[in-house]
Amino acid sequence: MSDSPFIKIEQVSKSFQKGKATITPLENLSLEVPRGEFLALMGPSGSGKTTLLNLVAGIDSPTSGSLWVGERELTTLKRGQLTKWRASHVGYIFQLYHLVPILSAYENIELPLLLTSLSKRDRRTRIEAALDLVGLSNRATHRPTELSGGQEQRVAIARAIVHDPELLVADEPTGDLDRESADSILQLLSRLSKEHGKTIVMVTHDPRAAEAADRTLHLEKGKLTR
Amino acid sequence: MKFVSLALKNLLRNRLRTLLTVFGVAAGMFLFASVETMQYSLSTATRARADETTLVVYRENRFCPATSRLPEHYGPVIKEIEGVREVIPIQIAVNNCGASLDVITFRGVPAETLQDYNPELKTIEGSYADFTKRSDAALIGQHFARKRGLNPGDSFEAVGINVSVAGIIASDSPQDNNVAYVHLDFLQQASRVGLGVVTQFNVKVESADQLDAVADQIDETFRADQQPTHTRPENAFFAETAKQMIELISFTRLLGIGAVAAVLGLVANALLLIVQGRTRETAIFQTIGFSRYRISQLVISEGLLIGLFGGALGVGSALFFFHWNAFTLGNEGLTIALSPSQAVLLKGIAISLALGLLASLYPAWKATSKPLTQVLNS
Ligand SMILES: Nc1ncnc2c1ncn2[C@@H]1O[C@H](COP(=O)(O)OP(=O)(O)OP(=O)(O)O)[C@@H](O)[C@H]1O
Ligand SMILES: [Mg+2]
Repeated sequence: MSDSPFIKIEQVSKSFQKGKATITPLENLSLEVPRGEFLALMGPSGSGKTTLLNLVAGIDSPTSGSLWVGERELTTLKRGQLTKWRASHVGYIFQLYHLVPILSAYENIELPLLLTSLSKRDRRTRIEAALDLVGLSNRATHRPTELSGGQEQRVAIARAIVHDPELLVADEPTGDLDRESADSILQLLSRLSKEHGKTIVMVTHDPRAAEAADRTLHLEKGKLTR
Repeated sequence: MKFVSLALKNLLRNRLRTLLTVFGVAAGMFLFASVETMQYSLSTATRARADETTLVVYRENRFCPATSRLPEHYGPVIKEIEGVREVIPIQIAVNNCGASLDVITFRGVPAETLQDYNPELKTIEGSYADFTKRSDAALIGQHFARKRGLNPGDSFEAVGINVSVAGIIASDSPQDNNVAYVHLDFLQQASRVGLGVVTQFNVKVESADQLDAVADQIDETFRADQQPTHTRPENAFFAETAKQMIELISFTRLLGIGAVAAVLGLVANALLLIVQGRTRETAIFQTIGFSRYRISQLVISEGLLIGLFGGALGVGSALFFFHWNAFTLGNEGLTIALSPSQAVLLKGIAISLALGLLASLYPAWKATSKPLTQVLNS
């Protein structure tokens, strides 16, 4: 059980229909990621990194092939089932943070917990723990506009981990940050994988960011290379 | 509950837009509630009641108090007819015989018999005794008094008739609340119809099932007379005599429907704009794990909140408006008090909520109609 990979991608292809043309960013791609690994994905723009990330996160489904995350074969799940699965198994971190502007840091982090049956008190305990983990306990009531980019991304990470998912996916999480903030985000991700056992798949353009990961893969023309 | 507070926060995001929408809904529902108030007041005034025991004896083929003239001495004759309990002769004088929003109706009655005929009449201010003592005294209905700011001891003049207020009355019958009761002989002289002439007789019968028989008997009695009569239950009399007014009010129902349609369009449009303005945010919510159903729920909650706030504001202010203005619609000497009612309040708010729901269905679906990845990519 423990030596079977956490993510297992077998012969996965993904095509998009653009007007009459068909684009196939991923073709017969296979990949295994062990539990707890921090994996970096690099590659030129348009090479299909985000597409792959979305498949792993259950946001999109492959055109063919099969895909397991944990014990789940995502390729058998319907759209609604995927949504439900995401709510408890995945934390998604975006390049542009995507916090809800009208909600405070606290309320943003609370969003995934609203989908659970946790009481208000239990939610509070979890949110405070998440805020503490990302080092923003003193910013709970701040709105996103009152936070720096690095702080916003840390709130976004807190939102991604508050419901304790096994998998974190991050699409260029440091792409919009200065070096110092980027470093602290990378340290945080690294800690989440080392200390909390999260499996992380991170897309990045920055070789420095890739260095923080356990392993780096390059995606080019739909194929993975080392 | 946790989702309703999220919906509320969403609405507060663009306060001006929400405020404008809520005011729009309020304006539409104000109109709707006003129309409903008219409809409701009318239907209570004209609905045939099973327990109706009042007949109105009018001159045959006459439809206006100015032209209906009957000899006062019919009264004792009617009183003798079997099944009749009370008879009261009434002379009516109005300042405006056509349809009007501001009618003053004088009802001349024998001062001593009014209380016997209508025991449910309560004198809430001033005194009944003062009314009987002074020949130019008037007992005025509570709506009438409120509308014109009259108190016992005041005098007022209308249609060239000068009276002094002796008391203010309240009654379960809406008509009583909108008129000024004066002495019959005083009104006959003041309005120059002459002594001995009345507009109508109101007749109380022993029991509701005798209504038609007594009516037929009365008309039969005076058939061969110079002044034949036409006798009907009070509500039917109202429905026939105030026909134009009733048609006019029925027509306003269209205005109510129009207002409702406008509110529907307004809310749907506002929600569609709201939803389109946050497609990306909706996609983020979906990424987090909010199902399409949850997202729809959020949008529908916003629609319901707009409906509720706008509806409460509009319907509430309409009812306040009717409460303070105490409008009386008059036609042919009959009046309808347009009075606020709980039924209209509940109906108005229920309809506002239904509109909020209906208007949000399409936006709720539209919010998540685009594929998630497409929105995230853009
Ligand atoms: N929903 C979609 N519909 C149509 N085409 C898409 C869609 N998503 C991605 N594509 C296409 O698939 C290809 C790969 O896109 P993807 O976003 O995965 O690239 P990427 O490696 O993440 O690039 P970048 O580094 O610029 O983010 C591109 O040609 C893109 O236009
Ligand atoms: Mg990308």
